[in-house]
Amino acid sequence: MGRIVFAAAMSHVLDPDYYERVCGAVGRRKTDEAMAAIAAMGERFSATGADALVVVADDHLNAFSFNCVPAICVRIGRDVPRMRQDHAEAFDAVLEHMPISYPLHEALANAILEQGTAAGFDLALSWEAPVDHAFLAPVNTMHGTRPIPPLVPIWINCFVAPQPTARRCFAFGQHIARVVARGDWNVGIIATGGLSHFPELSVARIGDTDSVFDGRLIHWMERGEHEPLQALSGDELHKSGSHEFLNWMVLLGAVSPARAEVRYFGELPRINLAAVEWNLA
Amino acid sequence: MSRYAVNSLLYRLKKDPEFRARFGADPLAAIADADLSAAERAAFAARDMRRINELGGYLHLVLSIPGLAVHPPRH
Repeated sequence: MGRIVFAAAMSHVLDPDYYERVCGAVGRRKTDEAMAAIAAMGERFSATGADALVVVADDHLNAFSFNCVPAICVRIGRDVPRMRQDHAEAFDAVLEHMPISYPLHEALANAILEQGTAAGFDLALSWEAPVDHAFLAPVNTMHGTRPIPPLVPIWINCFVAPQPTARRCFAFGQHIARVVARGDWNVGIIATGGLSHFPELSVARIGDTDSVFDGRLIHWMERGEHEPLQALSGDELHKSGSHEFLNWMVLLGAVSPARAEVRYFGELPRINLAAVEWNLA
Repeated sequence: MSRYAVNSLLYRLKKDPEFRARFGADPLAAIADADLSAAERAAFAARDMRRINELGGYLHLVLSIPGLAVHPPRH
């Protein structure tokens, strides 16, 4: 019987240069601190010897253009490339020093997809979509120079309305847990993005965060109280800049009722950086 | 306002360097065939990404188009 052996969630713009440019020295310091916490979580993940790492993240209108924006998409195939962008700006630039290709865990990805469809989740699939910083900054920060296990990238549409609901994302996470339990693999799962930043996806509001809202999310996660999190509305997530918390909702469904342990929380004017791990004992 | 027309144009500007170069040389000519409102066309002509965001352009695109990205003030 398979098992989820590691679960963590974390911010995904992990670039001290970027946050120094936009927030000054404190931006570099807090990004370094967050990355150190994520690297320590990665060491604990590697020690599990997991067969696969499920990565739940979002696309920043890089992999999917306006011909199709899937609500939930499972990446299948044998490997996945990192996104390439000429003259990369801002958060795209962090990808440039990273490896170009990553192996996938085909069997687990196919099981999540096929059993999901059978269970009533109308999942999208992709053989070709590349992954951007939302996937690769956390994965590379966690592993450093250690080998990265086969990945199962899963995209959640966090930005293009109408997004899937928090409750639906949680239910999909429960589905992942059932697939893992039916299989033979030890699996890690991470969710990326957040916490509060870019409220209302408005340039005018860059620099605003909602630490009170983040405090509520953390309070519920630490206590394993997942019902109020499933009740979060799209409007609440949009106004508080918590769009990417939908990725975290998938993870919560996969590990519920496990309780979260905050490894790092650092407020910057641009974003609240976070690194959180779940106690699965 | 056409959310699709604005954002498909932003996506093309990010991902198509040749189109981006044509836009840089003559924005109005490059977007002549796009189904934009007068306000949207004026914002693109002015390369005003902040205004394009107000008109429905997705934040992550207006922050990341090479050479055109908006740079909000440092905080």
